[in-house]
Amino acid sequence: MSISFLQFLLEIMFLTIIFLHLFKKNSDIVLAYIIQSILVSLILSNSFIETGNILILWVILCVLVVKVILGPMFFNRLIKKNTLAFSVSTYLSSPLTFVFISFVTFMAFSKKLLPITNIIPSHHILLSLSISMIFLSLFLVVNRKGALSQIIGVLSLENSIIMFIVFAGLEQSPGLQIGIIFDIFVWIIISTVFASMIYNKFGSLNVTEMNRLKD
Amino acid sequence: MEIFFIVTLLVCISLITILLKKRIVIEVISLLGSLVVLFLSFAIALKVSDVGTNYVLFNFFSINSLSAIIIMIISLIGLGANMYSIPFFRKETEKNIIGFSRVKQYFIFLNLFLASMFLAVSSSNPVLSWIFIEATTLSTAFLISFYNKSSSIEAAWKYLIINSIGLLLGFFGMLLYFTSISSLPGNGLISWDLLLNNVSHLDPIIAKIAFVFILIGFGTKVGFVPMHTWKPDAYSKAPPPLGALLSGALLPIAFFIILKFKIITDMVTGPLFTRNLLIFFGLISIAVASLIMLNSKNYKRLLAYSSIENAGIMALGFGFGGIGIFAAILHMIYHSFVKSVMFFSAGNLLLKYNSDKIDTIKGALKVLPITSISFIIGFLIVTGVPPFGIFLTKVSILSAGIKIYPIITFVALFFMSIVFIAFLKHISSMFFSENDEDMVHDENNIWLIIPLIIFIVLLIVLSFYIPPFLSNLINNSVLIY
Repeated sequence: MSISFLQFLLEIMFLTIIFLHLFKKNSDIVLAYIIQSILVSLILSNSFIETGNILILWVILCVLVVKVILGPMFFNRLIKKNTLAFSVSTYLSSPLTFVFISFVTFMAFSKKLLPITNIIPSHHILLSLSISMIFLSLFLVVNRKGALSQIIGVLSLENSIIMFIVFAGLEQSPGLQIGIIFDIFVWIIISTVFASMIYNKFGSLNVTEMNRLKD
Repeated sequence: MEIFFIVTLLVCISLITILLKKRIVIEVISLLGSLVVLFLSFAIALKVSDVGTNYVLFNFFSINSLSAIIIMIISLIGLGANMYSIPFFRKETEKNIIGFSRVKQYFIFLNLFLASMFLAVSSSNPVLSWIFIEATTLSTAFLISFYNKSSSIEAAWKYLIINSIGLLLGFFGMLLYFTSISSLPGNGLISWDLLLNNVSHLDPIIAKIAFVFILIGFGTKVGFVPMHTWKPDAYSKAPPPLGALLSGALLPIAFFIILKFKIITDMVTGPLFTRNLLIFFGLISIAVASLIMLNSKNYKRLLAYSSIENAGIMALGFGFGGIGIFAAILHMIYHSFVKSVMFFSAGNLLLKYNSDKIDTIKGALKVLPITSISFIIGFLIVTGVPPFGIFLTKVSILSAGIKIYPIITFVALFFMSIVFIAFLKHISSMFFSENDEDMVHDENNIWLIIPLIIFIVLLIVLSFYIPPFLSNLINNSVLIY
């Protein structure tokens, strides 16, 4: 795949994170995560095309099964079971969220981060985009009050780091990558179970309801 | 082969426990397993002490002096936690707080947690270490929400989200170190040794950025301020034996990973950069923890803040360097054992008073004399009162810093004094006040006392005598870090 096509895929991924910040419906958030994970698989398939390593196909298969099929299936079950049509609000208002998104994206492309966005000079834009995705995913977890949004935020952070790894040429052996995906799979199950427990105890997925523990 | 047997044994115990239907069998298997693990851990420590270099197995395990020390700590606290958990949960079952399925679940996750910790500290590969540290988060999340109350679910959720984000940032930092390696080795695994051998290819600015991410990421697991927010919640809501393991065993593991990357960074940037960062995080951890401890209302949260303070003291030791490193390693050992004493004592108080609020504990010295004395001894040890070992480690750390960083050393000393005052204030309110006349004056169960006494004896012995093999391991660790 050409760099411009990879950049195009990464830009769509970047947009999915922007939409994660904007979407109010939980099902839309899950859909954005599915699209993001499909794009991760597509970008990973570039490594397979370049190296011809069959084991990378297994990694892609694991990504598809865990992040595109099983993970969203758990999330959709959580939404249906608890009739959680709408996500709860954010700490910052939409205009302020946009200002922060612009600032973070600007920071990711600034000269300050040149040492890490220039690890492979020809991938400078791709790495800058990946860094901005990392920051924006982190911001998503911090800014959202909904437990499901926080789960998706953490998973989006993981996807963004994977993109950085791929474009910085730091991919690990397929065996280790499968180990990491297995960890993520267990994490998805546990976090979904906890989200369900939160709903049962607090009657909502709003994490601001959880304020019993204070000094 | 010992480490392989340890991990296999613990995983097998977890799997067998799933099938078992008799409580006594689950308890006996778990206890015997932890005894075997203890013997094997000491065998590893003796081997590493004799050889003086890394003990390598199958290219997957690599144990150096510090990891051998941490392996001993995990196995000792693991055994203590098993010994204490059995009578503790039997008492809770008598009170109808938990049932058989909860106890079974506890022992399954406890052994998985122990296995993950052994793997994290002995892996020869940083990514594998990361995977197993993440596994410790996953295996303990359900243990923190053990009592299925709103507050325990809140604590577990914070623990899961904050630690997961921290570890992902740590993972990002870890991968930045891999930029020094041009191609993957034959087995596809980048080992710690390979990272060290290729350190000359690492860009100093990337090394600095990477270490900041490592310190934030794994520092979240250690509990450095400001990434500490999960710690008081998790420690206060988890069953007391788990609190001992989180504070005494998991904290040193996360610290160990930070130190591994410190060596690599120091070789590229010089030692000043990492030392200053450790001193910064160490000092703010001591300061913030001590101020919060003054007004603590919950004795388990008090212990959590004490762990944050002690993590800060260790960071100062590694930051100051010289004798500070020796003292920091020794401090790590003492702290792990004293926290077991304090968490187990806290468990006994909880069983008696059914509350973890400081205000509800009155005159405990008369109601639970042995437990109270244990807690008070724990307080004296952890705050650094002579002649206990922590006095020596604190003095050594401060004397290592006084020449180069006099102001920081005095500020640290000031906040350490506040910790003593805070503890003393709560201790006098809990143990020396007038007690409730209705309270039955007796210890809960002799088996709830034995683990406390074992750790107190161990701490007193280690305060005056360090066995030659342990001394060897500490000295070898000082040379590395």
